[in-house]
Amino acid sequence: MNRRKFLTILGSAGVVSALGSAKVAEASPASFPYYPDSWGVLHDTTRCIGCRRCEAACQQVNHLPEPKVPFTDLAVTEKKRHTTAYEWTVVNKYEVNGKPYFRKLQCFHCNDPACASACFARCFSKLPNGAVVYDGSQCVGCRYCMVACPFYVPGFQYDLAWDPLVQKCTFCEPRLKEGKLPGCVEACPVDALTFGRRSDLIKIARARMAENPGRYVDYLYGEYDAGGTAWMVLAPAAGGAPVPVDDPQGAGTEFKQLGLDTHLGSQPMGQLTYGALGAVPMIVAFWPVLFGGAWAMTKRREAMAKLEQEKIIKDAKDDLAAAVDAAVRKIGETEGEGAAERARQAMTEALKAREAQNSGDGHGEEK
Amino acid sequence: MRNGTTLFLLAVTLLAFAACPPAPGAAPAALEPTDSGAPSAIVIFPVGAKPNPKAAAMQPVTFNHVVHEKWMERTGKDCIVCHHTGDAVACTTCHTQEGKLEGAHITLYDAMHATNIAPRKDNTPASCVSCHGKQLTQRDCAGCHTTLVRNARNEVWCTVCHTVTKSMTAEDMQQGIAGKLPERRNEALAAETELARKMVTYWKAAMAPQKVVIDSLAGKYEPCVFNHKSHVLSLMGRIKENKLASAFHTEPATLCVTCHHNSPASATPPKCASCHSPTIDPAAPQRPALMAAFHLQCMSCHKDMKVSRPRNTDCTTCHKLRAPERAANQAN
Amino acid sequence: MDTHGIIIPTKDKLFNLEPLLSKTPGNIITWIILAVGFVITVIRFTVGIGSVTNLTEAQPWGLWIGFDLLCGVCLAAGGYFTTVACYVMGMKHFHSAVRPAVTTAFLGYAFVVVALLYDLGHPLRLPYMFFFPGTTSVLFEVGLCVATYLTVLFIEFSVAPMEWLAQKFPWLLTCRKIVIRVTILLTIFGVTLSTLHQSSLGSLYLIAPGKLHPLWYSPFMPMFFFVSSMAAGASMVIFEGLFAHKGVHQYMDATHLREADGVVLSFARAASFILFAYFMLKFIDMLVQANLPWLGTGWGAWWLVEMFGFVLLPALLYAKGARDGNVGLCRMTSVLAVAGIVLNRFNVSMIAFNWQLPSAERYFPSIWEICISIFVVTMIVTAYRFIVYNMPVLYEHPDFKGEEH
Repeated sequence: MNRRKFLTILGSAGVVSALGSAKVAEASPASFPYYPDSWGVLHDTTRCIGCRRCEAACQQVNHLPEPKVPFTDLAVTEKKRHTTAYEWTVVNKYEVNGKPYFRKLQCFHCNDPACASACFARCFSKLPNGAVVYDGSQCVGCRYCMVACPFYVPGFQYDLAWDPLVQKCTFCEPRLKEGKLPGCVEACPVDALTFGRRSDLIKIARARMAENPGRYVDYLYGEYDAGGTAWMVLAPAAGGAPVPVDDPQGAGTEFKQLGLDTHLGSQPMGQLTYGALGAVPMIVAFWPVLFGGAWAMTKRREAMAKLEQEKIIKDAKDDLAAAVDAAVRKIGETEGEGAAERARQAMTEALKAREAQNSGDGHGEEK
Repeated sequence: MRNGTTLFLLAVTLLAFAACPPAPGAAPAALEPTDSGAPSAIVIFPVGAKPNPKAAAMQPVTFNHVVHEKWMERTGKDCIVCHHTGDAVACTTCHTQEGKLEGAHITLYDAMHATNIAPRKDNTPASCVSCHGKQLTQRDCAGCHTTLVRNARNEVWCTVCHTVTKSMTAEDMQQGIAGKLPERRNEALAAETELARKMVTYWKAAMAPQKVVIDSLAGKYEPCVFNHKSHVLSLMGRIKENKLASAFHTEPATLCVTCHHNSPASATPPKCASCHSPTIDPAAPQRPALMAAFHLQCMSCHKDMKVSRPRNTDCTTCHKLRAPERAANQAN
Repeated sequence: MDTHGIIIPTKDKLFNLEPLLSKTPGNIITWIILAVGFVITVIRFTVGIGSVTNLTEAQPWGLWIGFDLLCGVCLAAGGYFTTVACYVMGMKHFHSAVRPAVTTAFLGYAFVVVALLYDLGHPLRLPYMFFFPGTTSVLFEVGLCVATYLTVLFIEFSVAPMEWLAQKFPWLLTCRKIVIRVTILLTIFGVTLSTLHQSSLGSLYLIAPGKLHPLWYSPFMPMFFFVSSMAAGASMVIFEGLFAHKGVHQYMDATHLREADGVVLSFARAASFILFAYFMLKFIDMLVQANLPWLGTGWGAWWLVEMFGFVLLPALLYAKGARDGNVGLCRMTSVLAVAGIVLNRFNVSMIAFNWQLPSAERYFPSIWEICISIFVVTMIVTAYRFIVYNMPVLYEHPDFKGEEH
């Protein structure tokens, strides 16, 4: 392999990485378009009674393992449970303004999901019907999706040695395809879960707020949070208490009391990383120039120093030669040609020995 | 004290009757007098400063002062709730159709109907509607009025307050609008109206079914046997005890539309399943599915009326588990 | 030349395994750790990740990522730091420090990958990221850069084994010549890749603002990770020297020994500057992000401990040590600085991560996770010792002495 060949390979590597970063730029929010006809679910926490029917239905339709605690035991709702690889939805009880309310936890099916943005093997996709689905066949098991998810949703099959996968609510995507409702929605005895087009659900939620003054917090969680989610949540208001003035969002603390983070912002979580990813091509392009330049300058400085040194040495040598000549001439004048020749030889040898000694002193002392 | 005043007033009335020759025809029954000595009832005219030769205005309101005063006394409140300036003057003194400087340019309409009243430092005034609206949150009313029946300002309800006896003449009206109707005449008109007010006579409970068997969804559970009569009677009793409720629940069917909602009030309302399909209709996702409709109806009312039993998650109180499921459950 | 006990392998006796196999206490401990590690490895790969770790749904990344990956990559920054100083900036007097630094960097990265295989659910699918590239993922960038940089480091490092084996396989001489010729290209390629993935390790957490405490979360995390990796690189060269001089002193040639103190002092000065800069960056960022109110909390106290005790203090000690020419102080400070970097990575990945969760749901590594981490470090040390005993890392090979490159 000659130098040119190697440079070609290096060059094509650069092109490849440049292409990679071009894709990064392309994968701005536009790579996960907002699907206007997508489905969603509106979760009305003022209706939820914490019966765990949705959990049971989820286990049944998704063929999940039997739970440790039977679904008829409602005491487990007191614990703040998370979704896991084997429980894709759980209902927890929360105290909101001193009164008990229930909230169902499951995948929010973001418009532009953090998990999909974080996955480096492209296992997640947001489907036009609204579902965020996961294909484990190319999952590496890095669990960055779990780090990225702002809702702590995906679970991992830590108990499996062979083929452990990330698991989460699928929005019952296979059932949606058949024209059926998601298992949990179908099972809900009080319609605390309303299934519909996401755009309709926003209107329904607003209508409920308008028709029931004082019943709901005037904020629809998931309409904009984390870039918007397909599953949205209505929270109970304090009941007649005025909305605090220092709460511009109007979300109050009710959502926080329901265990929901209202500080995620309205941009998709993945966008937080796009700035850093956008800097990649800059560094790829600029760093070689910067360091190559620094290297070239160093080289040039070294070369100039060397030249100068050589000149000094040459001058010194010339001076020395002149001095030797003068001395030899003087010896020749006083002691004759023979002695002069012997003296010249002795002086030359002494100088050579000195030079050899100098150069043998190892390298790199030119600090 | 009141007894004293009553006795005194009775004596005065008797004396007056004794002194005067009886009027021709039946003697008109009188309203109970007030403690404060204010008129027992008055007609509130839409007083305005603009000339109004044709007396084109909203029907005046007949205000029963006695009833309100008694309620104040009963609930430990003060005249200042309504007479918010502290002076016992008529509302129309400051609040006219157009608004006046004295009334901070708050029109008569707003003074009577405003619901979102900005809090004041000392005494926040109340309008008729705001105060009546608050009454809906009390336990006896909350069941229907929290979720299901919204206190919308429907024209049906206007005439409950905006009503005056037919004997009011055009001239009375004109004088009233101008604020020049003699007090005597005003009070007479008001008393006549109030005395003519009939309290509603409901259908007899027997007209409604005694028990309703809800079986359209029965599967895992046996059909639910709903005691329709006891629910109707319970609500009727609550309305009867409350003057405000009695005034507004004028039609017998008013009571029924709580549950039999979104259809014209009738003695034979359509079935729930006529609108609520067994599964949710994606075309109308805002409409609860049948099972949810039942549960939401029962549970929200029970919750708002603080009926602690049965618990929401206690399924078998309302509908028994079917035998095979029961056996399976016991086997577990 | 003073070789004082350097054993240079020859064509006939290629391996110098004596120091690894002799029954010294150090070797016995090493073998015990490796044996225990092997057992845990078997359990991990036959029963599942859950059997040996405390990882949960809320804490999917624990010690193996927080220490083995984040700290491993960061502490292997000595590789790019030294090569850039020597080759790009022309500080030729660091030349003897290049090979040890490249060796540790290569080993560091190689074992980062090894440790990663423990943590991945599907270790064999690691190359999938090249077949199904999720280009919106920071992790993809990290993976691509680490994979490429590991290759670069391998080529840079390959000079040592080639010199070692050249007598037996003469064709290696040609390869060696090529590698030495492209040293500067490799160096510049290496620093570019290092900048990218060192910073990207910080970018990994940009996506989780709700989970990381605001005092540690910042949009500038990539920059903090990169700047601190430079300090870590410089400190690690000093830190390694501390142990190398204890353990494998007899394998250092005269040049190495002569230049060692100069390397320590220069790197200490550099690290001092970088740590100062890092301190200022973090402090200004804290003010700009309006995090001042947090300083009054327990988390604030912990942040101040990190910033003053493990960033500013080593910066000051380094400055003093470098100015006074106090090599001992610089070496001691390097321990503190390295601990500080590790602490920072622990804070970001574990301690201040999920800070809002109730303590019952917080993560603490299991004993087996810690064992695996120790196991990995022991493997690195053992591999380093093997290389040092056999290859010309701390000394110049007599066959190639005096070649300028």
